[in-house]
Amino acid sequence: MRSTRLTWLVLAALLLAVPPALGTYELYVVNIALVNIVLAIGLNVLTGNAGQISLCNSSFMAIGAYACTLLTVRLGLSFWLALPVGGVVAAAFGCVLALPAMRLTGFYLALATLGFLEITQIMIEEFPDITGGIRGMIAPRPTLFGWKFGSDLALYYIIMPIVVGLALVARNLLRSPVGRSFDAIRNSVPAAQSLGISPERTKLIAFAIAALYAGIAGGLGAAIVGFIDPVEYGAGASLRHITFIVVGGMGSLLGSIVGAVVLTLLPELLRGLKEYSDFVYAALLLAFLIFLPQGLVGLGPKLARLRRNDRTVGQTLEPERGTS
Amino acid sequence: MTFFALDRVSVTFGGVAAVRELSSVLEQGEIRGLIGPNGAGKTSLINAITGLVPLSGGRILLEGREINMLAPHRIAALGIGRTFQHVEIFTDQTVLINVMTGLHRHLSHGLCSSALMLPVARRGEAAAREEAETLLEAFNLRSYRDVVAGDLPFGILKRLDLARALAARPRLLLLDEPTSGMSEVEAAETIATARGLARDRAITLLVIEHNMRVIMALADRLTVLDHGEKIAEGTPAQVQDDPLVIDAYLGDQTDA
Repeated sequence: MRSTRLTWLVLAALLLAVPPALGTYELYVVNIALVNIVLAIGLNVLTGNAGQISLCNSSFMAIGAYACTLLTVRLGLSFWLALPVGGVVAAAFGCVLALPAMRLTGFYLALATLGFLEITQIMIEEFPDITGGIRGMIAPRPTLFGWKFGSDLALYYIIMPIVVGLALVARNLLRSPVGRSFDAIRNSVPAAQSLGISPERTKLIAFAIAALYAGIAGGLGAAIVGFIDPVEYGAGASLRHITFIVVGGMGSLLGSIVGAVVLTLLPELLRGLKEYSDFVYAALLLAFLIFLPQGLVGLGPKLARLRRNDRTVGQTLEPERGTS
Repeated sequence: MTFFALDRVSVTFGGVAAVRELSSVLEQGEIRGLIGPNGAGKTSLINAITGLVPLSGGRILLEGREINMLAPHRIAALGIGRTFQHVEIFTDQTVLINVMTGLHRHLSHGLCSSALMLPVARRGEAAAREEAETLLEAFNLRSYRDVVAGDLPFGILKRLDLARALAARPRLLLLDEPTSGMSEVEAAETIATARGLARDRAITLLVIEHNMRVIMALADRLTVLDHGEKIAEGTPAQVQDDPLVIDAYLGDQTDA
């Protein structure tokens, strides 16, 4: 108990103390990693826990980004109000998408979400008077009481607590009846139903949560990059979000965080390899999938089991006893 | 009022009748055995009662209310629970979480209070854990509490399936071969536990069971199905002597 508290304290100290020592570009990458964590957490709840495939996570990000930016630019709303409103708007669209999802599974659901992605792209491109169309639009930096969050460091200090808060909310939800109902419908729909769990309602909540997280991530991302355009939110972005959770660990909150951080930093670390960087990135991705099918979070238990097996050679493995 | 009634219930799969015009009445608190040879329509009947397959005819009534039009989770919410012949366990969750999931509809802390870990959610979770632990204790599953269910053998999963179904606090519980995959001793223990809990909580049981010794000792009354039709109904002693039953069912079991 004491050691976990110490871990949290050390982590908090690092999160607060390290960023001022980083350069502008490094801070920019850190901020992007934070946004990717939010995207991964939301998608992992939907896909890893509730078992619903989504190829349109980036569309909810787009909806959040455009809603947040349009509200601040066109209506003069404060960023701090526009950000959560953008998230809620995205969540509302998530509920709309959940309606067909209630009747579809597997490939058919994947195709429906792909359709939603296309529709979102077209809607952004076809209304250039409002959205700036294919040429995109400038997203202003947030201000608070007249003070502008001009530097990446200032942005970091507002984004980081938001991301920590969203991670804690997700952790709480996954340990609650709602979280158990997600895992229930992924494992067995008839069993879930036999316990009074509605698969339809559960899917609706899962889509809404994923969309809410992606929507907030979209608003934060727009503030960091300072510019939004529809190309940013295409199918490629959705697939990247899926790699976050597959590499990190499906159905694991820690996996979402690890996957998003590793896959955001990896291309930066491989930059020195110049023209080979993409090749090495792809090779590493394949290696993760082949050797760590449980994701990077599967690495811990795997190592622990190796160590334990070393000590207990020749003994049969008893089921682990509960702490009582 | 009649507690539970099947009124000329029929279930058809692509023109083949799995259950034909079956009528029967269950008293509250009774333990009813449902027996019959393989393919007699026993599991189809349970699937029909729980709403997983539609009726092709007839009605199912719980306390006079027609339930056969309802979605499966709504039927469960009325207090009709079940276990599964081949177990439908949440395989990548721990034994404890499986049973806690069974408590789902009795937990009042919702999305928002859970997300923010409000005191009401904390208390709700603590109470749920406690109730689940009591059931684990009752079914001798305590030592597997934190084991991922998928790693456990079939006999233990059958017990877990039963514990999880009881966690939902059903009024009518449908058990589909609850002791298959168990040793004689295990089966006797499990049945004794289930029967004790059912009597304490006034749960009505409808039990499919192939082990004749188990079902004869357990059931107050038996319903015998053959080719989807009811061929006999009565106390175990009455059914045992019924020539139709001996012919259709027990006759095949002479080697057992």
